Formats: sequence, structure tokens, C-alpha cells
Amino acid sequence: MASFNLYSRGDRIFGYANATLIGLFVLSTLYPFIYILSVSISSGAAVTSGQVVLLPKDLTLAAYEFVLSDRLFWIAYGNTFIYTFGGTAVSLAIMIPGAYALSRARLRGRKILNLMVAFTLWFNAGMIPFFLNMRDLGLLDSRFGIIIGFACNAFNVILLRNFFEAVPKSFEEAAKMDGASEFQLLWKVFIPLSKPAIITVALFCIVSRWNSYFWAMVLLRGEEKIPLQLYLKRIIVDLTANDEFASSLLTSRYSFETVTAAIMIASIIPVLLIYPSIQKYFNRGITLGGVKE
Amino acid sequence: MSAVELNDVVKRYGALEVVHSVNLNVERGEFVVLVGPSGCGKSTTLRMVAGLEEISGGTVSIGGRLVNRVAPKDRDVAMVFQNYALYPHLNVAENIAFGLRVRREKKDVIEAAVKEAAAILDLTPYLARKPADLSGGQRQRVAMGRAIVRKPQVFLFDEPLSNLDAKLRTQMRAEIKRLHKRMGVTSIYVTHDQIEAMTLADRIVVMNGGRVEQVGTPMELFLKPANAFVASFLGSPPMNLLRATVVCVDGEPMARIDAADPEAALLRLPKAIGTSLRADQRILVGLRPEHVAVGNDASGDVQEIAATVDLVEPLGSEALLHTRISGQPIVAKIETPADVEALSQIGRLQIPVGRLHVFDAESGKAVNGHA
Ligand SMILES: Nc1ncnc2c1ncn2[C@@H]1O[C@H](COP(=O)(O)OP(=O)(O)OP(=O)(O)O)[C@@H](O)[C@H]1O
Ligand SMILES: [Mg+2]
Repeated sequence: MASFNLYSRGDRIFGYANATLIGLFVLSTLYPFIYILSVSISSGAAVTSGQVVLLPKDLTLAAYEFVLSDRLFWIAYGNTFIYTFGGTAVSLAIMIPGAYALSRARLRGRKILNLMVAFTLWFNAGMIPFFLNMRDLGLLDSRFGIIIGFACNAFNVILLRNFFEAVPKSFEEAAKMDGASEFQLLWKVFIPLSKPAIITVALFCIVSRWNSYFWAMVLLRGEEKIPLQLYLKRIIVDLTANDEFASSLLTSRYSFETVTAAIMIASIIPVLLIYPSIQKYFNRGITLGGVKE
Repeated sequence: MSAVELNDVVKRYGALEVVHSVNLNVERGEFVVLVGPSGCGKSTTLRMVAGLEEISGGTVSIGGRLVNRVAPKDRDVAMVFQNYALYPHLNVAENIAFGLRVRREKKDVIEAAVKEAAAILDLTPYLARKPADLSGGQRQRVAMGRAIVRKPQVFLFDEPLSNLDAKLRTQMRAEIKRLHKRMGVTSIYVTHDQIEAMTLADRIVVMNGGRVEQVGTPMELFLKPANAFVASFLGSPPMNLLRATVVCVDGEPMARIDAADPEAALLRLPKAIGTSLRADQRILVGLRPEHVAVGNDASGDVQEIAATVDLVEPLGSEALLHTRISGQPIVAKIETPADVEALSQIGRLQIPVGRLHVFDAESGKAVNGHA
């Protein structure tokens, strides 16, 4: 009995090539993770002598003990949580109503307002004017400044606005006839219907907040307010020049490399934990934003 | 006092006027159907009653209260949308309860109302389901449930059945009628389906090009269409309209059917109409397909006329006969005889004189006799 094949030979070759390329890509993104993890649990001596390439050598948790016993690490960790989750909550609280207002047909000056938002996508004032602006507003070296200064992102506002605009008109009309107020309309109809977009935007906010480094460095002075990324930078820059640390290296099993690796691993754990549960929305949300009714 | 009253209602989009001076009184408990071809302004008119569309001119009153400037939610009306507009994130019970919940009704009141509506609409087993897990007919019923829990003065429907297949549509049509009988709520219903209009309506409003062509009970419109548009819109197949000229033969009014050849057929017109006609007047002679007869089964004042058969369409117990008189098409709807093949050989049609309608060709208005 002749069996027939759905795929031609060319299709199969294409399939194998695809799988190989994707495999290589996965390996290339996975490798740094595995490497850093291995370094963080190897002994300083093993790392320094170049024995760690993929798998850990001479297992030890010394680097973690060093990091976790540092008071500043916990302060920085707490700050990052505040900046990430507080910042994301504030961002959503500002961007959702803003995007909703921009999506309303009867908003006066809607075209101009939308253009003003989009304008910031293409042009911005630059670093120095932004810094001066923050200074004049008294938002230097302030947690609130970090949160409010980066609360709005034009791309996210536009993504949400497009999503709201794509909600079929009859939902709104039905809710209006049912007696919903403008606020109920947003809260009970538009927000639930736009869940994928909102979760996507929330994730964008979380990731960028979690990784944010530059502006924290520019705007913050005191140690008490720095986020984790800045703490990592201090460790890298400061420890190298720290005599006390240098001498402790002689008697301990950690090294400069294993300590920085341990901080990196500690800092990605929360992201690793939340990502899988919201990934499905992430994938859907990005495409949905561009879909019209 | 009318339940809903429209006086000279006008809708303009910019300079474009799409609804021209509509007048309509809907009585309490009445079921009124707006029907007309696509784009004639039915939805726009309904949405002005709902408050979803601003009224450009004239007045709308509901329950004796002027509502031109009243928000939709304060008009005490509920609407069923063509696409149902069920909230996908809420289950059936929550969808039905939505209107009461946003109005901050008490929990037990809401629960009782939802229960009652679900019982009326046979939705009790589905209360916990999401709209995505319902059939089209069930969704339709949820949409109605959402309207009836509010116990409004007026129900508005905008083509609520047009997303259903033919069988379900017939079924839901009957259900809407049953519901109306039971609840007796004043209803305005928009459709472009004349059968829906005929079966549901206490009164039909036929619209065309943003104007009301005629208002009346289904049978009034069917038997006495005010103009050629109404005549050709209601009935299936629609009324045959033959272009003709009035001539007088031996003192009797006749219609000379327009024809390419000089052998034009002559049709005798009802005497009563004759006094309202003048010689050489251009007219349309109307005749319902079901009033055309073949063979000798017609009775009363009948005239025979030569016709050629183009096509026979047997529909089961009835058959459609597509024929021509003097080159103009005329459809006959007859009982299917045993020998269907023989129908294509028929050379003559029987036309009952008393069943003829006459419309002025220019204005389209019906010409009635002054008895
Ligand atoms: N926003 C608008 N701007 C301009 N013209 C409009 C607008 N909305 C509707 N119209 C026009 O108004 C007329 C009436 O539209 P309406 O929706 O009331 O028709 P309808 O009778 O409900 O038709 P259908 O059976 O197709 O639903 C149409 O000619 C339409 O093109
Ligand atoms: Mg319509």
C-alpha cells in the first residue's frame, strides 16, 4: 500500500533547517544563563583559573552568603520591588485613563492631543534637559521622582488607546443604555475587555523598571534609595578598589566574579517566577493591539 | 397618551439629511415594526428613540415626556442589538444582571430578577456559562434577558434575528411574539425582512429613503398599499407591476400594457377606479402573484390574457410561474398541479379584475376609486 507524504522533500529540509536555527538560537540565549549560574555556585579559585566553562566546579554557596549578608543588597532589592511594582501600578493608573480618554471620539482636540503623544515617540528633549527638569521639580534623589518621572510611555499609551478604539461600539452603547456611568464603562467594560493589552503593557513596565539602571544612577544620590542594578554596579566598580574586600578574598572561597554572578542570579529570580504565568497574554497582547473590530 | 411619539423627526449628518420628518405614534403595549430596504434610515430612527443618536430636528417623547435631551439610561428603554453585545468576560447571569448592577440595585432584587428572566427565556441551565459557550439562539435570548430584567417602558430591537440561520430565526420570531404577548411591553422592532414584519407587527411602518411610506396593520398594507413602493416591498414574491397607459374602450377603463410590438395587451381595470383616471395617464398595474390563476380555477370577474412561460419553479405544494405579458415579466404563484411539466406549455393567465391595483406611474401613489 502506497503511503503518501503531506510534506515534500523541500518542506522537510526547510523544517530541519528551521529546527537547527531555532536550536542554535535557544542555546545562544540559554548559555549565558547557565554560565552565570555555574559561576555563582563555583569557588572563586575555580572561576579565576578558567575551569568553569559550562558546568560549576568546586561547588560552594560562599558568594551567596556574602551577598545575602550585605545589608545594602536587601535595601536595593526592596527598592527595586518598590520601583517595579509601585511604578507599574502608578503607570497603569495614569496610562489607562489617559489612553481611554484619547480613544473617545467626542474628546475635544483629540487629534492634536494624540499627535502630541505620538510626537514624543519620535523626538524627545534629551538627557540634560530631562535632568534639569527633574531638578527644577525637586525630584532629584527621590523615590517618588523615579516612579512618577517614568510613569508614562507614549508607546504603551498608544497601544492601549488602539485597543480601546477596537472595542466594538455596541458594547459601549449597550452599557450606556443599561445605565453605566463613564467610569463604570471604563472599569466594567473596557478594562476587562482589554485585559490582554493591559497585561502586556504591565509586563513592559515591569521589565523596564526591573532592569532600569541609567536614570537611577543619574538621579539618585543616597545608598538608601538605589535599585538592585545600581547595587550591582557599585559592587563591580567599588569592590575592585576595596582593600578590605581584596584581603577577604585570600581567606574565602568567593571571588569578585562569583559575587557579581550571584547578584545577577538573585536579581532575575522574580522575573523568572512571574514570566511563565503571564506569557500567554504577552504573546497575544502585542498582536491584538493592531487589530481592528 | 402614546407610549412613544415622534414628531417631524429629522436626522442630519453634517449637510446630509438621512431621515426626513418622520411622524409616528406608538400606542402603549403595541408592537411596531420599522421595515424598509438597507440604508433607509430604520436604525437611525430607532437609535434616536434610544438616545444613541442625537436628534437633529423634531421631537421624541416617551411616555408623554420629551426626551430629546435625556440620556439613554434615563429614557426607560432597553435595546437588543444585532450583534447582541454580550460582555464576553461575564457569564450569562452577570450579563443579564449588568443593567441592574450598574444601577446599584439590591443584591436580592437582582438575583430574583435574573432568576425570573432566565425562567421566562429558558436560560436557567446556562446561567454560569460564558457567552462564547452558547449557541446563537441562546445568545440571542441572553440579549433579550438583559433587556427584560430592567422592566423598561419600551423595548427597542435592531435586527435582532439577522445573525441567525433561517430555521432558528423562525423559532426566535415566534418566541419574541410570545414574549410580547406575555409581557405586553411597547416594542419597536427594526428589520429589513418583510416576513418578520408581517408576522410580528401590530402595525408596520414602511420606510424608504429616510421617509415613512405608509403606516398600518400588516393586512392593511398588504391589501391597500398606499404606493407602488409598499406594494412591491411586502409579499413574497412581491407584487407584479406592469407599466401601462390608461385608455378608454366602450366607456370602460382599460390599461394598455407597454410593449415593444403593436400587439399590446389590454387589461380591464376595476370600474370604481375609472373615475379617478384620465385617458393617457401613465400607470403601474399591480397584481399579487397569488391572485394570478391558470386554467379555469378562477372565479368572479376574470379576464384572460395571453402570456408566455419563461420558467417554472416548483416549491412543493406551490409553484412559481415566471411568465411574460407583452414582454413584461409577471410572476404567478399557484398550487402545484400533478403535471408540473405541462405548466411550461400554458399560454394564458386568468386575471381577476377586482384584485388589480393601480398606481400613478409618476408619483407612485395608489389610485383609489371614489365610491
Ligand atoms: N455616521 C454617519 N455619517 C453619515 N451618514 C450616515 C452615518 N450613519 C448612517 N448614515 C447614513 O444614514 C442612512 C441610514 O442609515 P441606517 O443605518 O439608519 O439604515 P438602515 O435602514 O438601518 O439600514 P440597514 O438595513 O442596512 O441596517 C444610510 O444611508 C447611511 O449611509
Ligand atoms: Mg440598520
